[in-house]
Amino acid sequence: MDESKHFYDLIIIGGGISGSFIAEALSQDLRILILEAGINYKLKEYPIHEVHTSAKMYWGGGIEFNTDANIAFLRPKVVGGGSVINGALVDRFDDIAFDDWKGQTKVNFFNSKDMGPWYEKAESKFQIQYIPEEGRNGNAEIFAQGMKAKGFSYSPLRRAQKNCAYEEGNDCIECLSGCRIGSKQMMSVSTLERALQNGVELISQFEVENIEDHGDCVSVWGKHKKQRTFKFRSKKVVMAAGAIGNVRLLFKSGFGEKIPGIGKNFYTHPQYMNLGIFEKKIQSFKGALQAYKSSEPRFRQWGFKLENVFAPPAGLSMLIPGFGKKHMRQMKKIAHMSCIEVAIRDTEPGKMEQDRNGNFRIIKTLNAEDRKRRKLGLEIINDMFESCGASEIIEGKLPVGLHLMGGCGLGHDANESAVNPEFKLFDHKNIYVADSSIFPSAPGINPSLTVMALSLKATDQIAKGF
Amino acid sequence: MSSRFLNEKELKGFLKTADILLPGEGELPRFGQTDFSRYIDDILEEATATDVQDLKMLFGIFYWIPSFFIRIILVVSEKSDFGPRFWQLNMRLINIGLKGIIYSLYYSRLPDADKNGERIFNMIGWETKIPGLEKQENEMSLKDVRENARVAQEEIRKTSIKDRINFIKSLKNYVLDNKTYFVKKIHEETGKTRTDILTSEIFATIDFLNYLEKNAQKELKVRNVKTPIALMGKKSSVTLEPLGTMLIISPWNYPFFQALVPMALSLVCGNATIIKPSEHTPMKGVFEDLLKRVGIPSTWVQMVYGDGEVGKELIDLKPDKVFFTGSVSTGKKIMTQAGQYLIPVELELGGKDPMIIFKDVDLHRATSGALWGALTASGQACTSVEKVLVQEDIYEDFKSLLINKAGKVKVGQGDQSEFEIGPMTTDFQISVVREHVEDALSKGAKLLTGNDWDRKSKLVPPLVIDGVDETMLVYQEETFGPVIPLIKFKDEAQAVFMANDSKYGLTASVWSKNMKLAYRVANALNVGGVSINNVMLTEGNPHLPFGGIKNSGFGRFKGKEGFSSFSNIKSIIANSDTHHVEPHWYPFTEKKYGLFDKMTDGLFGKGPFSFLKFVIFGLKLEGHANKVSK
Repeated sequence: MDESKHFYDLIIIGGGISGSFIAEALSQDLRILILEAGINYKLKEYPIHEVHTSAKMYWGGGIEFNTDANIAFLRPKVVGGGSVINGALVDRFDDIAFDDWKGQTKVNFFNSKDMGPWYEKAESKFQIQYIPEEGRNGNAEIFAQGMKAKGFSYSPLRRAQKNCAYEEGNDCIECLSGCRIGSKQMMSVSTLERALQNGVELISQFEVENIEDHGDCVSVWGKHKKQRTFKFRSKKVVMAAGAIGNVRLLFKSGFGEKIPGIGKNFYTHPQYMNLGIFEKKIQSFKGALQAYKSSEPRFRQWGFKLENVFAPPAGLSMLIPGFGKKHMRQMKKIAHMSCIEVAIRDTEPGKMEQDRNGNFRIIKTLNAEDRKRRKLGLEIINDMFESCGASEIIEGKLPVGLHLMGGCGLGHDANESAVNPEFKLFDHKNIYVADSSIFPSAPGINPSLTVMALSLKATDQIAKGF
Repeated sequence: MSSRFLNEKELKGFLKTADILLPGEGELPRFGQTDFSRYIDDILEEATATDVQDLKMLFGIFYWIPSFFIRIILVVSEKSDFGPRFWQLNMRLINIGLKGIIYSLYYSRLPDADKNGERIFNMIGWETKIPGLEKQENEMSLKDVRENARVAQEEIRKTSIKDRINFIKSLKNYVLDNKTYFVKKIHEETGKTRTDILTSEIFATIDFLNYLEKNAQKELKVRNVKTPIALMGKKSSVTLEPLGTMLIISPWNYPFFQALVPMALSLVCGNATIIKPSEHTPMKGVFEDLLKRVGIPSTWVQMVYGDGEVGKELIDLKPDKVFFTGSVSTGKKIMTQAGQYLIPVELELGGKDPMIIFKDVDLHRATSGALWGALTASGQACTSVEKVLVQEDIYEDFKSLLINKAGKVKVGQGDQSEFEIGPMTTDFQISVVREHVEDALSKGAKLLTGNDWDRKSKLVPPLVIDGVDETMLVYQEETFGPVIPLIKFKDEAQAVFMANDSKYGLTASVWSKNMKLAYRVANALNVGGVSINNVMLTEGNPHLPFGGIKNSGFGRFKGKEGFSSFSNIKSIIANSDTHHVEPHWYPFTEKKYGLFDKMTDGLFGKGPFSFLKFVIFGLKLEGHANKVSK
């Protein structure tokens, strides 16, 4: 084994949203190394064929499953993490989300007022725009028409983007596999870019396999490009590998036995994509990928949200049931399809475990309440499609988890959480966690902006430790 | 089609399943009609080991069971809401796993030879574009290309030779795994026959990449050389360093080999590379795709498309060296232009390669060799046989056997493997062939075969011409077509004279049982390479340097010499840091002159004591020089 003697002030495991924000905030003062398992693509190098997008930018060759194989997880594996493959929605959490967290964990800063300045600071780090009228496509029109017909409120989407230039005819569905025009405010064109300019080091295609806390410093091992093993040391470590990544690594490194809260309370906002097929052409793949969101207070109460989305062809082919000629005929109707998604705020806590043989698994089920939420959302979507004149509706059967949250919950109770309100792993003063894995439960709102805000808040704590 | 993960049976099981999932519908092709299966490894190499094992097992089973059962399994797996938990679980995984792989290969607009990816997207009505990006890409000026290369050359310089060899290895494996695809692409672009392409483009490319993989480390190693006694105590070495940015301008006759081989050599030597393929055979996207798949960064090797004007603009951006393969007239222009900037060029130009056949040869082998050597790639190879010199004693026998064999050559357009001559690649080359043939006939030569050619059509049959003399174009100029001019010679001296009576000097071949004679003639020929009792074989061995003299160009690539051509040959001599000064430095004194003079006599002079003299005067000189320097 190559024992490299590099010593850093701070090693950040995971070059996604949380890791990039923390790196930038501390880049002036500390010697920082980011270790990221994914590839560091330049803008124009993002894969353009969907099969490569799946295989190269996600863990597990594209998709991972719970133990029942009835919920699919899409977990990004790329420099920039979620910011590269997400829809770039940036919404603050509301009082409902924070009150629930505070009630659950008794952590006082979980409230809109205390988090306000951190949100503000996070929002100052990148460009935010509302999707303009010219970006709205046929899919957005159906969403708006359906919501209006059913008397629900909706609003234009707030998104981390700089200049999507819809007026020039850009069809931005491709941005889900990395925005090649650099408009989407991926970490690689915003926070991380600045961090690297300030001297932060980044090693991509480096998969961390083990961490060890020596009390006065921390060692991190892993493999570069699946081949050579390297060992690094630092005064402190930030784990920013996401809910599944962090938990997996903690289990592998033997922290599971000491901290019983690791792996508990895993949530995913399961999303079901539903297709409406119309006589007329919709061309949902034109213009802005998403233009509206549901802002209906009753939806919030009912525990779900509706999203105006679409997917590229290979993704859609998986939503359409069956195979053979019939499936191919359905695929020919792609230009006539509209898609509305219901994302439920799941209430059943999932659990990640490592069995005696070291195998990692994710136990995640949906309880009666979760299923009720999905059913209600689906009924509304069906009504919306029907009111717009859909000739056929295809209900999405396989829920997809894109918002992977929890497993290292922030709180005081060692049985339910793993990270204390100072963002330190219990009993480990040199290991910090601030990404979505510290969410105590599902907020029901897209998590990325809150991950940024919490990460910035955590940097305050981390800086104090030096 | 091959896979590093699936064996032949598993692959067949996979294809069988894919055809059930995607059996074709209207104009949407069946999965098996596309070439997408060659991307299967892209998925498998990212999948977990367990998933790969499961899939191997599944496809292995599917190979054996009838399609009907596979269909049942697929239907059942679709409705997996009943039965015991493990059953449901596995059914779901089978369903999602198979569909996920096969559908995503089919609906990803993957490039294949028949453009099925594009076609499928058109059929399903998926039209997306990002004009902003396309605009940006078109606007990426040649200056940006040069700038990218400048940055890239620094990145490459930092890589180890081992790292670069790893890229070569991946390139080799990728070409090997996708032979059929590349054959098809080159066939589409050039019209050459499939067997010509497989043997002289694909095989030769893989062979050369293999050579690089095995030899680059050795050839690029720092070489320690001797240091003469007068420079005692110093250490000398030679290292081959990157030149910077290589501009490769590749020709239309071997668009794959002549681009990829110099590119690979350039990369392994540590250079950034810009390739401008011929505008007649650009093979757009093929190299970009290939490079991407093996993980070579896009700025390390950049493709620029366009005609001679673009080439000219590229030279104006001052690459560190130009490697050109093509015609004499373009070669002259390139050299003139590069001369303004003192940029070195390496020119692989045309040839009028003679084949000299002495009377003692095996006629069967010699005629077959002449036929292939003159006709391969429709004669559009720079080392094609262009002049067949036959000793008068066997001239008639040789001629009649050759005519007989020429009549059996299969000429045809299409992708059947048994076609031997395909259509000519460019129209202007057809007119050159016509001009040469008509010139010869007007001067009294006779066309022995191919009289049915209409002198227009792209499909040119073998044209054997009898009675050729030095006044004719077919004797003097490069024809670059399936023409076999026959010329009679009396003896060795006349053969050598006729062979050398040319402004070209690329390669030649000599045929005789008498090896002494053969070597003697080979040595007497003014060319860059000679095959004895064979044709066009010097370029078949990657260890042999390739290149010509006279109008055929200069410089050598391939072999040991090839590494030097693509490198800066840097000499280093090292002294340790001492207090001493060198005797030939200032100050000069009368005494220093005298001692140096005597030391020189001692070192190079004759006589038993001269070496002793050298030692004595050398030490004195050393002592004096150091004393006066203070």
